[in-house]
This record gives sequence, C-alpha cells and structure tokens, in this order.
Amino acid sequence: MSPSRTSLSRDTFLNRGTFLKRGMFLSRVGDSPALLGLLGLGVFAALLEILPRAGVLNPEYFPPTSRIIGALWQELGRPDQPFKPSLLSALGDTLVTWLTGLAIAVSAGVVVGVIIGAVPLLREFTASTIEFLRPIPSVALIPGLIVLLGVGREPTLVIVVYASFWQVLVQVLYGVADVDPVARDTARSYHLGPLRRVRYVIWPTALPYVMTGIRLATTVALIVTITGEMVIGTPGLGDNLFVAYTGGDVPVMYALILVTGLIGVVANSITRAGERIVLRWHPSVRGEVAV
Amino acid sequence: MRMRRLAALFVGVTLVISAAACGGDDSPTAPATPGGPDTVNVGVIPIVDVAPIFLGEAKGFFAEENIDVNLDTAAGGAAILPGVDGGTFQFGFSNAPSVLIAQTNGLGIKAIASGNSTAGDPDNDFSGLVVKDPSITRPADLAGKKVAANTQGGIVELAIRELVDRDGGDPNSLEIVAIGFPDMVAALENDQVDAIFAVEPTLSAAKAKGWKVLGSFATIDPDMTVALYVTSSRLAEENPDLVARFTRAIKKSLEYAQSHPDEVREIVGTYTNVPAEVRANMTLPGWPTEIDSGSLDTLADLIVKYGITDTRPDVSAILS
Amino acid sequence: MRAVLSALRRVVALLALPVILLLVWWFASADSRTPAMPPLKRILGVLPDTWFGERLTGDVLPSLIRLTEGYVAALVIGIVAGVAIGSSRRVRLVVEPVLEFLRAIPPPALVPILFLIAGIGDTTKILVIIAGCVWPILLNTVEGVRGVDPVLVDTCRTYRVGGLLRLRTFVLRSASPQIVTGARQALSVGIILMVISELKASTDGLGYTFEQFQTRFQYPQMWSGVLILGLIGVVLSVLFRLVESRVLAWHRGQRAAERTPL
Repeated sequence: MSPSRTSLSRDTFLNRGTFLKRGMFLSRVGDSPALLGLLGLGVFAALLEILPRAGVLNPEYFPPTSRIIGALWQELGRPDQPFKPSLLSALGDTLVTWLTGLAIAVSAGVVVGVIIGAVPLLREFTASTIEFLRPIPSVALIPGLIVLLGVGREPTLVIVVYASFWQVLVQVLYGVADVDPVARDTARSYHLGPLRRVRYVIWPTALPYVMTGIRLATTVALIVTITGEMVIGTPGLGDNLFVAYTGGDVPVMYALILVTGLIGVVANSITRAGERIVLRWHPSVRGEVAV
Repeated sequence: MRMRRLAALFVGVTLVISAAACGGDDSPTAPATPGGPDTVNVGVIPIVDVAPIFLGEAKGFFAEENIDVNLDTAAGGAAILPGVDGGTFQFGFSNAPSVLIAQTNGLGIKAIASGNSTAGDPDNDFSGLVVKDPSITRPADLAGKKVAANTQGGIVELAIRELVDRDGGDPNSLEIVAIGFPDMVAALENDQVDAIFAVEPTLSAAKAKGWKVLGSFATIDPDMTVALYVTSSRLAEENPDLVARFTRAIKKSLEYAQSHPDEVREIVGTYTNVPAEVRANMTLPGWPTEIDSGSLDTLADLIVKYGITDTRPDVSAILS
Repeated sequence: MRAVLSALRRVVALLALPVILLLVWWFASADSRTPAMPPLKRILGVLPDTWFGERLTGDVLPSLIRLTEGYVAALVIGIVAGVAIGSSRRVRLVVEPVLEFLRAIPPPALVPILFLIAGIGDTTKILVIIAGCVWPILLNTVEGVRGVDPVLVDTCRTYRVGGLLRLRTFVLRSASPQIVTGARQALSVGIILMVISELKASTDGLGYTFEQFQTRFQYPQMWSGVLILGLIGVVLSVLFRLVESRVLAWHRGQRAAERTPL
C-alpha cells in the first residue's frame, strides 16, 4: 500500500537532493589533504591580514598580508643588482645550499647511526662525544669557518651539515635501539647475516624514526642555510633578508620570510608524500587510510 | 629490488647536487696573472657609510689602478676583521674601535684609509642619541637608564657612555643593551628602552616620530674617524704595491663621494633596501680622505676607560 | 671486583673518544697562528679564570634557568598539541602546513619579531627557546600517536576504555618512546637557542658572554665558552638519561618480556 500523497512527495523531496546533502559535501573536502592544508594556510593568512589592519598588531612593524604579497610581487620583478641578486637567483642559491647540505647530512646520519646503533660497543664509546658536540651552536664555529673557507657557499654548507647531521643521527640511534626483540631473535634463529639483519629487522623498526628525523632535518637545514646566509653573507635568501632588514624595508623582509616559510611547507609535503610511500605498511599510514 | 634502486637514485642525486654546488663559487683568489688586473675581496657592511667604495667601483677608479674589486657583505666587524687577518678578504671596512680592539687582541690589522667620519655638525649628524620621554632633556638624565646600542663594546656604546660622562652623569650606571638598528625605533616606541643611539637610516625614522636628539658622534669630536678601511699587515708586507694602489683608489672614491652627495644617495639604493624618500633626506656621513689620528687616540682612551680592554690599544700599531 | 671493573669500563667508554679527539685538536692547533683558531693549550689555560668565577652564577645560572623554563613549557605544549593533532587526521591536515610554515622561520629572523611582541626581557628569551624546542617534541608526539598499535585501539574500544584513562594508559604510553626521542632532540636544540636568544638585547647569560667575546675578538675565551656549552650538553643528557629510564621503564620491561625464553 503506498503512503498518502503528501507524505510521498515529502519523502521524495527529501531523498531527491542527495547530491546536495550537507554531510556529503563536507566529506568530499574533508578527505583531501591539499584542500584541508590550504584551508589552514588561508585562515592563517586572513588572520595576519586582519590583525594589523585592526590595530591589534602595529602595521608599521607587522604589515598586513596584502602588503607583504605586494612587496613579494615587486621583488620578483626586480632584476639582478650589484649587491642584491634577484629573488629567483637568491632562491636558487638557497635551494642548492640547503639540499646539498641536507643530502650529505641525511646519508651520513643514517649510515653512521645504523652502524653505531647496531654495535653496542660503538654506541657506548661514542655516546659522550655525541652529547658533547650536539649542543654546540653553529654561531660559535662561524669566525673560524670564515677564516678557513671564506664567505662563499662552503662555510654555510658546513654548518648546515653539522646542524642537520645530529637530528638524523639521534633519531636513527633511537630507532635502531627500539628493535622488536621477537624479530631480532627470529633473525638470529634463522642465522641471518649482519646485512640481512639490518635490512629485515633493524631497518623496518627504525624507519619511522628515520622519517621523522628526515622531516626534522629538512627544516633545520633550511633554517641554518638562511642563518648562514644572513650572518656570513653567502648568496641566497638569507643574504637578501639581511640587506632588507638593515635597510629597514619591513615589507620586503617579511616577503622573504614568507618565501622561506613556503619552502618549508612544500618541503614538508614532499617528505610526507615520501613517508606515505616508504611507510606504506606502518600503522600510522595504514590506520589513517582505513579511516 | 626497490630499495636498491631507491638507494642508487639517492646516491646519484646527492652526487649531482654536490657537483653543482661545488662549482662556480667565489673563493678568495690571489692576484691574477701579471698584466691582468688584481682581483681583491673586500668585506663591507651593507650600510650608507660604504657608499664611496661602490661609487668608486662604478666610476672605474679601481679599474684605473688595475684592481678588480669583489665586494662581499658581512654582518659586522666581528666577521670581517678575522677574515682580513686570515686572508679571506684582502681589504675590509670596520668601525674604528673594533679595529683597535682586534689589534690589541692579536689580529694583524692595519688601517689604510678613513672609512667615514661625522657629518661635522654636532646638532645635525648622521648619528644621534634619541629619547622619547620629553622629561629627559640632556644626556646626564639618562644615568641609571636603559640605552640601546647596536652591539656591545663598539663605537656606539663608547659614544653613549662618553656623552653621559661629559654631561656630568655616571657612565657606569647605564644599562647598555644590544639591539639592531632596524629594531631600535620599535623598541623605543614600546618603551622597552629609555633611549637609543642610532645612525642613518634609522635616525631619520626616529626623527620622523618627533623624538629629540641629545647628542651624536660629532658632539664628542666633529672630526672623529668613525670607521676605517683596513688590510692585513701580512698583505701590506708582501704586496705593498697592491695596498698603495687600493689606497689611492679608495681615497679618490672618498673624495668623489664627499663632493657628489646626490650620486651617493642614488647608489645607496642599489646595494641597500633603504626606501627612496629616506635616502633623499637622510644626513650623510663625512668622507674625508685622511684618517684623524687624534680621534683614534680619543677612542683608544675610551676603550680602556670603559673597560672594553684591559690595556690601552696602540694606535700607532694600526697606522704604521 | 666485578662492580669495580664494570664501573671502570663505563668511565673508559665515557672518556676514551673525547680524550683522543682532544689530543688530536691539541696537536693540530699547537702551532696555529690564526687568531680565530687559537691553540687548545691557550683555550684550556683561560677556561678556569673565565668561567669558574662570578660568571658561573652571574651568567651560566640565569641561562640555565631560562633554558629549563623554556624546555618544560615546550614539553607541555608539544605533548598536548601533539596528542590533539596526532589523534585526528583532519586536524593534522589542516594545521600541519601552518605549523610547517612557522617551523621554517629561522631564529635570526624570528628574534626581532618576538622582541616586538614580547619586549626585550627574559620572556622573549624563553619564547625563543620554546619556539625551537617545541618542534621535535610536537613532531615526534604526533608520529607516536599516529603510530599506535591498531589492535590496541580496537581493544580499548571493545572494553570501552575512554577519555583520560585511555589517554594516560594507552595513547601516551604507546607514544612515549617517540615522545622521549623528541624530548631528547629538544634538549640540544634548547641549548643552542639559549645561546642565540641572548646574542642581542641581553645583559647577562652564556650567549651574552659569547657575543661579548666575539665582538672583542677574544677567541681563546670564546672557544672556552664552546667547551663549556659542550660540557653542559653532556651533563644535561646524563640527567635526561636518568629521567628517561624511569619514564620508559615499562617499555624496557615489555621489550625484555617479549624475549621469550625459547
């Protein structure tokens, strides 16, 4: 028996607009990492536009987002000048220094970390040295480095590698130490050689730690690159930043900070993507996908 | 399989990037082949004071002396002077007290020319001790208060203490905090300090707020040599000809800058980010060609008077 | 006898490599004529006078106090925020880019901004320390929370373990090995930032003293400061290890128990 006419049309009406149903729209946005990320950044940018305009932050020292973007646009159009390389050329310099230093630090950190971590004797003997060298700020090394290596890319590269190496090393050491004893014993009973053991036992347990270490080191390397460029004068975004700061050009200064921040965001997205591939099997990635 | 391929890719990328990074850098070079110009690295700070060397380079004064100048920015004397001593830079720019202190502490530095001096007029200099509070009318009123200098133990700190001392206040009661020039205006505006000692272009920004200037470098000595161009004693010994040629070129540049202020204001815009309106109106420092050794003696006295070093710097050691 | 030998072995392990490195440094720098890299002999010579006098209480102590305050604050903020962000995929995806943006701002650029917001006193220095320390803790906490054993998630749900109990006994416990890694990283980052925060706008502290030595070209004293920083790092890491062994005692026990006698 079909329901009365009025109720039928009401039911049909309610069922008809399924593609416009509120929950479904949100869930479409709510699944996309890119859109959610942009939402977060958008809110942040809007906040930094409103607060200076409303007077909560002094616009003289905290220009609103629109003014910063205006300055960025101008900088992009500015050609190379004797002491102020163009933005793109500075960006290129920073990227090369940063990525080179990062690559060296990560490879060295992983290799040294796995070796030390796998051999308890080495770990014991190197522990005090690692703890001594880790907290030494690169600022301390700069005068000596300038004398030894000049003011080009080399001294900045050295401090970038120095600072990032420890981040990776410590994470790898912790990761290697956290090996699941069952897996370790299984490997032993199957008489797996050291190389096999590293590949099948140590590496998978350490991998999440290593990926976090890479994520940490990526940003640390970027920060130290810019710092080196600011203090030593190595060509790059930091050098331009220093010149802008010294000249009192606040919008350009923030524009360069914006570029640095965006590099950090992009770098993080890339490492996260890499993580998703490498740690496909790990609960942190699997669990989220299931949800 | 995949791990091995990933690893190989990783190593390959690392090698390529390293190769790209290590090529084409600007490491210090010794004088080039005879007949060709000598390439020199000069460490400078990207401020108004070094306009002459930029101007001179643009006008070809250095090329005339067969020198190819490579200007490198650094954050300050603390980075430049060890570089000069170590050979990274053949020449450098630094404020005068830092040169004296460096020499006292073992760096082999020689002054070859004046960097810049005051604008000559105590009431209208390129530097100034600025206060916001109208109840502070003279330097002595600052006794016991917080004053901002750009670094510890530099010419700015010496100037602040000396201005207070000469006005009858206790210079040792001052609390000197190091704040970068660009941050000084905000610090004074927010009452984080009671006074600031700034130079152009920060000074213009401070004056634009309607704040009062109580004194300057010129108040202490209108002929004060504020900064110097230096070289290492080693280079002066090994290649006196290069040093002599460079000195001639820089003196010519100083002279040109002193008589062509408009060109100075223009070239400042090419190596700094000072906005055009500020550049047009700011007070320029003076650029005499000769070092005023009397003022260096005064600075040496102040250095030991205010405890920056234990022994009085030997002025003749940097001038000989 | 065994105990003595074992203690002796531990001392040897602690000192062997540093001593070798120091000897290498000593001989390599002995003839150094570069002022910026003085002979180790001179550095060690000035060390006692420079640091073991009134500097210890007047500069080192205030610095360490600020470090402790900043570090503890970073720990609290990092763990709380980390748990919140790690527990929800959506929250993480929205918030992460903004956090990564902020994380990438270098301290020399951040410090003047913080001066504007928080003045030039101790608060800003502590904020600088927090601004750097929070990241290793936050990131590691997020990853630790994300990586909890899904079987245990289901177990909690089945037994209706929720709220604070679930947080305390399950989430935090599961994530604690990674949280501790983050805390470990944050310690040395903290020491570095402690120095950086005091380079400008300071009237006391290790960083302030460091800057003084640099601007006055007193390199032996500056390098002695570097050695002191390293020593502080070692001492703090030993203290950390002691705390860590208490906090992670359950983890070690569990790992040991998982080693079946068969």
